[in-house]
Amino acid sequence: MSTLPTPNSGALGPEVTPLLAASGGRWRRRPSGEPPPLPRPIGRGIRWYLLLGGLTAALWAGMSIPAVLGLITGADLVVLRVIATVRTVWLTHLMLDVNTLTSPWVVRLVAWTTIAVLAGFRRFRHLAVYLIVFLAAGLLVSAMMLELGRMRPTGIEILGPWQGYSQPSRPVAMLTLALVGALYTLVPAGRWRNRGKWAVAVILGMACVARLYLAVDHPTDVATALIIGWPLAVVVFWLAVPNEAFPVSYSGRRKAHLDIGGQRGEAIVSALDRQLGLAVTRVEPFGLEASAGSTPLRLHARAADGGEVTLFGKLYAVSHLRSDRWYKLARTVIYGRLEDEKPFSTVRRLVEYEDHLLRLMRDAGLPTPRQYGFTEITPEREYLIVMEFFDGAREMRGGPIGDQVITDALGVVRRMWDVGVAHRDIKPSNILVRDGMVLLIDVAFAAVRPTPWRQAVDLANMMLTLALLSTPERVYQRALEVFAAQDVAEAFAACRSVTVPTQLRSLVRADGRDLVGQFRRLAPGRRPVPVQLWNIRRVGVTAMLLASLAAAVAVFAGYMKVAGLL
Amino acid sequence: MTARVASGRPGPRGGRARVAGGLAAVLLVLAATVTGCAALSDAAPGCGQPLRLAIVAQSLPPASYLPCIRTLPQGWSTSGFRAAPGGTSFLLSSDRSPGQPVRVRLIAACRPGDTSPSPPRAPGVVTYTRLTSISPRFAGSLYDVFPGGCVSYSFDFTLGSQISLMEQFEQAVGLYPRQQLRLVLKHKLGVELRP
Repeated sequence: MSTLPTPNSGALGPEVTPLLAASGGRWRRRPSGEPPPLPRPIGRGIRWYLLLGGLTAALWAGMSIPAVLGLITGADLVVLRVIATVRTVWLTHLMLDVNTLTSPWVVRLVAWTTIAVLAGFRRFRHLAVYLIVFLAAGLLVSAMMLELGRMRPTGIEILGPWQGYSQPSRPVAMLTLALVGALYTLVPAGRWRNRGKWAVAVILGMACVARLYLAVDHPTDVATALIIGWPLAVVVFWLAVPNEAFPVSYSGRRKAHLDIGGQRGEAIVSALDRQLGLAVTRVEPFGLEASAGSTPLRLHARAADGGEVTLFGKLYAVSHLRSDRWYKLARTVIYGRLEDEKPFSTVRRLVEYEDHLLRLMRDAGLPTPRQYGFTEITPEREYLIVMEFFDGAREMRGGPIGDQVITDALGVVRRMWDVGVAHRDIKPSNILVRDGMVLLIDVAFAAVRPTPWRQAVDLANMMLTLALLSTPERVYQRALEVFAAQDVAEAFAACRSVTVPTQLRSLVRADGRDLVGQFRRLAPGRRPVPVQLWNIRRVGVTAMLLASLAAAVAVFAGYMKVAGLL
Repeated sequence: MTARVASGRPGPRGGRARVAGGLAAVLLVLAATVTGCAALSDAAPGCGQPLRLAIVAQSLPPASYLPCIRTLPQGWSTSGFRAAPGGTSFLLSSDRSPGQPVRVRLIAACRPGDTSPSPPRAPGVVTYTRLTSISPRFAGSLYDVFPGGCVSYSFDFTLGSQISLMEQFEQAVGLYPRQQLRLVLKHKLGVELRP
């Protein structure tokens, strides 16, 4: 296997000639109108659902005209009279029992179970969408019942209980919403959900047949209720929690990671071929456990010499962007000093930023991976950034390290200070060692012209990482070769638990030594750099968040009452 | 080597206003939806809406008259409309009697008890009034009794405003003959209201 040459750390990198083989098709511009590699799927089912929604709207419009309502009612009554011909005593008892499926208590049971499971699995996005769908659809049903004011079937004895106007059938709509909501938020897509659809269809079919047999609803009341409860709800779930971005899974896999099989896998290979001219032969997940902000991939491509080269890819999607926003919002509220973490507006901006940082850091002579650009998988939704894979490198953890590595690693931080960048995520899994040379990866969080505090934190985290594999004294002595003692003092004056990445914090805690304290004792005395910073923005955001939470509680209580769940 | 500024003072401020704003917007929309839902309260059908009134007729098939809203005087509103087998009920609220709506119920039979007759409100209807309190509040019930059913109106007004409030709610609620509804449904929808 051939690998790409890597520049030495702390020095300007040589111009690297790509050793990759261009694919047969070379680069190809996607003509206007041609779909992207992975178009946002609008399945045939969704089209049908939208069509049914349109039909329902047309039916309601027609019902506001008495003549049309008379025709519809006449047709409904014909169907009900036919059904009434099979009425028998035992069948009526059976149908009354089946009709209890539409009781508010059954709906409450299903809905509360769904809410509890979603909350238990911390699937809050699904939970929010479920609640909103339930409320919105319930309101739509109520509004249309009042607007249309349709009477119950007449001319046929009504055998079951009823309440209020008949169009659309509220009990059927609410049962459908409860079941379909549970199906689309709790059951993984695929075989199990398909089976679930059949089960839900059977339950709803039984309930609808019972209500028509009992002549409680007209057939069109039931039909429109089913359309509100099933197709329209599914369209909302498709829009708000698409399965590609927010899959329902119980496998313990990180939710941030996308499935790269099937259509997406094919789209990745096609996009790399057409947009970057890379002949990729295999795509596989890599290092998933160390990444929560993207889906890391190992890509196998054909080399110019006929061999194979390995590349590293990071697949970014909307879900990653949203996670990033929430993460940064929480940090703004909790730690005002970390306010330089700006959220990205789109996935494209996020991946463009990382691509830019990779190029900038490499141009600055830092030992970061060579970048190969990024590809568009689904416009504004999914992008794949491609870079060099450091084959044969190992993470800086486990075994002891020599002075050369310590000097090299501190030299990398020195270089970052000199060129005005901060990595912002210095931890063992982001520092690799190969042939005694230090390599730096995962520059997605890096910043150009960072705050001095950020740069100081980078130094502290690098020194802590190195001290884990040696001693604070050794690291401190080596640091004085490239930093002033005051720089080190400032680094540890800025160091707090929150400024240390989670992985590094855990390792320091497990190490048992008071590494931060030892470094502070070695360095000259310095007043701590304040981390908690209160400013108008932080106060405003915090107040807004607290107000939103209070409002959410109030709205939730009101919602439960309105939606009939209390 | 590039000079580096020592830390210790705040750097550029980052904003999460977009996210917070989005969150607030969602909550506001949700709150507005819920509030809007309150405004979506079930109003009783008007006497000029016979197609809506049919559900009242279905709730009590023997009733020869059906309560409906004739005209709502200024400051009055209806809510809590509920029609189900056995009868219909709704509330009539006045801004001059906050928290004490008039409860209107169509039921199969009334027990007026110790009542005094009042002028009948429609042909074939016998109207009674029963007062349970005169002071400090003016409270009691009004009954419209007719073949197949009865409409009761429970009121509880503050003393002083009761005369006009009584007049207003009696004007607001009309009695729609079932026979007339039957003809309208036959004419407009081509359906028979049975019985």
